[in-house]
Amino acid sequence: MRLLLLEDDELLGEGLRDFLRADGHVVDWARCLGDIAAYRGESFDAWLVDWQLPDGSGLDWLRGQRRRGDTTPALVLTARDLLADRLQGLDGGADDYLVKPFAPEELVARLRAVCRRSAGSAGARVSFGPVTVDLTARSAWRDGERIDLTAREWAVLEALALRPGRLVAKAELERLVLGFDTVLASNALEVHVSSLRRKLGRELVQTVRGMGYRIGGGAE
Amino acid sequence: MSALPRAAGAAPGASRSIRRRLLRALLLWALVWSSALALAVWLAVREEVDELLDDGLKSAAEELIGPILSAPAALPAVGTTVPALVPALVPAPVPALVPAAAHGVAGVPRFVWQQVAHGQGARLLRQSAGAPLQPLRATPAPGFASLPGWRVYGLALGVDAQMLYVAQSRTERGEALAEIGLAVLLAGLPMGLLGLLWLGTRVRQELAPLQALSERLAAYDPLQPGATLGAAAHEELQPMHQAVDALAARLARRVAQERAFTAHAAHALRTPLAGIDAQLAVALREAPAALQPRLQRVRAAAGRLQRVVAGLLALFRSGVEVQRVVLDLPRLAERLPVEGLVVQAQAGASISADADLITAALLNLLDNALRHGATTVTLSTPGPQLLRVQDDGSGLPAAQRLALQQALDDEDYAGRTGLGLMLADLVARAHGGRLRLPEVEAGFAAELQLGPA
Repeated sequence: MRLLLLEDDELLGEGLRDFLRADGHVVDWARCLGDIAAYRGESFDAWLVDWQLPDGSGLDWLRGQRRRGDTTPALVLTARDLLADRLQGLDGGADDYLVKPFAPEELVARLRAVCRRSAGSAGARVSFGPVTVDLTARSAWRDGERIDLTAREWAVLEALALRPGRLVAKAELERLVLGFDTVLASNALEVHVSSLRRKLGRELVQTVRGMGYRIGGGAE
Repeated sequence: MSALPRAAGAAPGASRSIRRRLLRALLLWALVWSSALALAVWLAVREEVDELLDDGLKSAAEELIGPILSAPAALPAVGTTVPALVPALVPAPVPALVPAAAHGVAGVPRFVWQQVAHGQGARLLRQSAGAPLQPLRATPAPGFASLPGWRVYGLALGVDAQMLYVAQSRTERGEALAEIGLAVLLAGLPMGLLGLLWLGTRVRQELAPLQALSERLAAYDPLQPGATLGAAAHEELQPMHQAVDALAARLARRVAQERAFTAHAAHALRTPLAGIDAQLAVALREAPAALQPRLQRVRAAAGRLQRVVAGLLALFRSGVEVQRVVLDLPRLAERLPVEGLVVQAQAGASISADADLITAALLNLLDNALRHGATTVTLSTPGPQLLRVQDDGSGLPAAQRLALQQALDDEDYAGRTGLGLMLADLVARAHGGRLRLPEVEAGFAAELQLGPA
């Protein structure tokens, strides 16, 4: 998943970034609201938002995004633990609310749950014809047989599986899989998609020429 | 969160009723006052009645002089009674004024008279029926005199040193006084009782605003914006209203300051703790195997530090109302991640409590259990509003457990209990209950009573 981490604390931000990257996610880290401008128009699977930032309120920023119709799943990370704060956070557009201190493992689990719900599936597994994808175990099966995937292949599959039936532009998919700063060869994405088709079946990932890629017509 | 105040009943004399004390004082005063008044009235009435009776006695004597002097009948022998003479001696109006031989109860005459000649001693010349057979006085004695059984008035007849003695029996006079006293008593007693009832009602009415004030205080939330008790119903209560409002304003300011401090402290403490844990989680993934145990111990210690900080923040957060929600015990147990400890919960059990406070209390109790060698902790609800936390650790000797219980009962934690038990007790008390440490066969148990027992 491609994640935007909005956290001003260096110790926590760095720790979360590295933990999430080690978990296979693509993480873009903004240290303040001013840094977010660089990511305008970018697509993320989820936002991890600290409430209190040096140049404003992360929750106010989230409210603004929601008002503009952006439905990207968001987790609010904060030291504010009162019931009233949690209610304010959830009513302000957060899909989940995590009180500091928290274990990064719990953050990842909640992240997966939020993204699953956002993709329209409460369970960890989604199926696309003969292919089953377990978003929690980060595994895929074809006709009941587990298929080994590389990290990049999984990232492509996850990005598309979290948007079932939706056409994902090539550029967007590249950013979701590779991140903002990573520069790879221009045909890297096609290579990973091709590899996925070879392992899971040609019919799994549909190509809409000149526009992008899509998985399934909807989760089954 | 500050320690809750002790029960009002703990203050000496707090349960004494102002109304009962006022009524008791009024009753005592009424008794003393009415007794004094009755005595004064009695003395005054007796004096006046004596004077009236004496006036009557004197008038009767003066009325009798005429008939006696104008009827020089043959004198009877000394010592004989002359009942037959009396009607003849007394003209028509006289008997009406002073019955010459009116009789009272049991045949004792109420009034008598004697005509006595004082010369060589006293010689009874005439007398009314029922009069004593001996002269009432041995020597001439004009005016009033009190003799045994009689009140006597002597009047000189001006003839041969003769005296007329008119006497009224003491019994008669006593009866007259008793009748007057009884009438006064019968008139005064109902008035006194009615007065007492009226005063009791007035006392109750005048104290009613205190009850109303208590009810307003019970519903008074000083932390609500603009909270005020408002104007008092009685001017005597206005200073109390003002004092309570001033106290509430100070409390609200203090709570606002504490909340601001706690929010800052929470941010300043919680964020680095989260950072430490995230860094350790990354380090555990990246570190060589030889370093893993050491890093795991550090992460466990960091976790414990997190629980202590969470507990302390909850402990020092005052003015926060308990937000009761129904908590499913198995789900609550799932959210209590303590490395090295299995937390079990009674299936289907639930408890009504503040989720944050109860979590802080439980995390600290679990931490205690871990430090005392427990591997399993069981959560159960053996009674209504009762949450039991029992571990399989080494437990405590009975004397030490009782000493801890005493410290909790006294709310005297300093140096007598650890942070975990102190926090759990404060959380229980914030819910209106308390923490108990029951005797168990094995391990250690703590029971959070989350409401009045």
